Amino acid sequence: MKLIIGQFVPGDSIIHRMDPRAKLITVFIFVFIVFLANNPWTYGFLLAFTVLGILVSKVPFSFIYRGLKPVLFIIIFTFILNALFTRQGDVLISAGWFQLTTAGLKQAIFISIRLLAIIVVTTLLTLTTSPIAITDGLETLLKPLKKWRFPVHEFALMMSIALRFIPTLMEETEKIMKAQMARGVDFSSGSLVKRGKAIIPLLVPLFVGAFKRAEDLAMAMEARGYRGDVGRTKFRLLKWHGRDTGLLSVLAVLTAALILMRG
Amino acid sequence: MKLKTFVVNAVLAALYIAVTFLIQPFGFTNIQFRLSEIFNHMVVFNKKYFFGIIIGVFLSNLFFSPMVAYDLIFGVGQSAIALLITIISAKYIRSLWTRMALNTVVFTVSMCFIALELHLALHLPFLITWLTTAIGEFVVMAVGAPIMMAINKKIPFARMI
Repeated sequence: MKLIIGQFVPGDSIIHRMDPRAKLITVFIFVFIVFLANNPWTYGFLLAFTVLGILVSKVPFSFIYRGLKPVLFIIIFTFILNALFTRQGDVLISAGWFQLTTAGLKQAIFISIRLLAIIVVTTLLTLTTSPIAITDGLETLLKPLKKWRFPVHEFALMMSIALRFIPTLMEETEKIMKAQMARGVDFSSGSLVKRGKAIIPLLVPLFVGAFKRAEDLAMAMEARGYRGDVGRTKFRLLKWHGRDTGLLSVLAVLTAALILMRG
Repeated sequence: MKLKTFVVNAVLAALYIAVTFLIQPFGFTNIQFRLSEIFNHMVVFNKKYFFGIIIGVFLSNLFFSPMVAYDLIFGVGQSAIALLITIISAKYIRSLWTRMALNTVVFTVSMCFIALELHLALHLPFLITWLTTAIGEFVVMAVGAPIMMAINKKIPFARMI
């Protein structure tokens, strides 16, 4: 089983080289400002920003499409639902209960664009930023929470350890599944109770293996004198560049345009 | 936080993602049917598993969900609130089965947060979405309770962290 965590596509585009903090801030602000759009102009701006992001990132469209595939059904479903349940404006098509109005069609297109923009922009974050860089970025952004005794360092380290162990545990899960299937266990058919029972022989060795790994790792860290974040230096240092300020400036311009142009 | 506690939680988060990934096609739409949701029952045995579950949810939403930012806020928020309710109420409930029943109810009801997320982002009808997501959550949590109880007999969760 091949698992690409976060679907990171290594590259050298300007977006790839941006600070993960700038990208995280942009994504989190973007998913909120999309709600400011309410007319063709503002939705046009959102779409332009999204397309510009794809072009600048140099990520092939096939990767973007791969990210969209699992949600294509939701986009179509949302489109139909909005088209059918908005009953204002002129009637375009009418057949019994079914009625498609101008306002319905407009609303459906708007919501679909909004959804597309959100998914593509958030997918771009994980396509252009390695998981470990995202973890580093999050640790720095969450630092102010230390004031309220939130264990920021532990939280970031837990994420890093988890990321390190995902492929290992995936492999182990697959091995155990195959071993159990060879013994005749069927995970995919039967009643819920039967399927539930089939999962127990899969989960027990998985938990045993996971706890064993955790114990070994804790012991190794203790033996090497791990003392939390006290006096700890970093191998990967985050550096804020002009391009990061540039990204936030573009976002500020987009926000201003959305506010000024909304109807 | 003790070193062993957070290392166990980190590996548990990785396991949560490994299990989530196995049934990913059912996990990220309005039909919430993640097998790894049964991990939520672990706080019934020991509240220290809270962080492992939260990080598992956080990372799986961050790297595998198409609606990253919303899922990080609503998904992680829902898990955190539901787990905290279970942890606090566990102080007054001794029976593990009762705690699990309560945990199942809390998680099922709190799917309203996910329904709200889908309503805000996709304009899906709130009540129907709540119903479908809640059914999925209830089934996984209800089936998961005896599973976790059976595993607990072989691996005493309370003492593993």
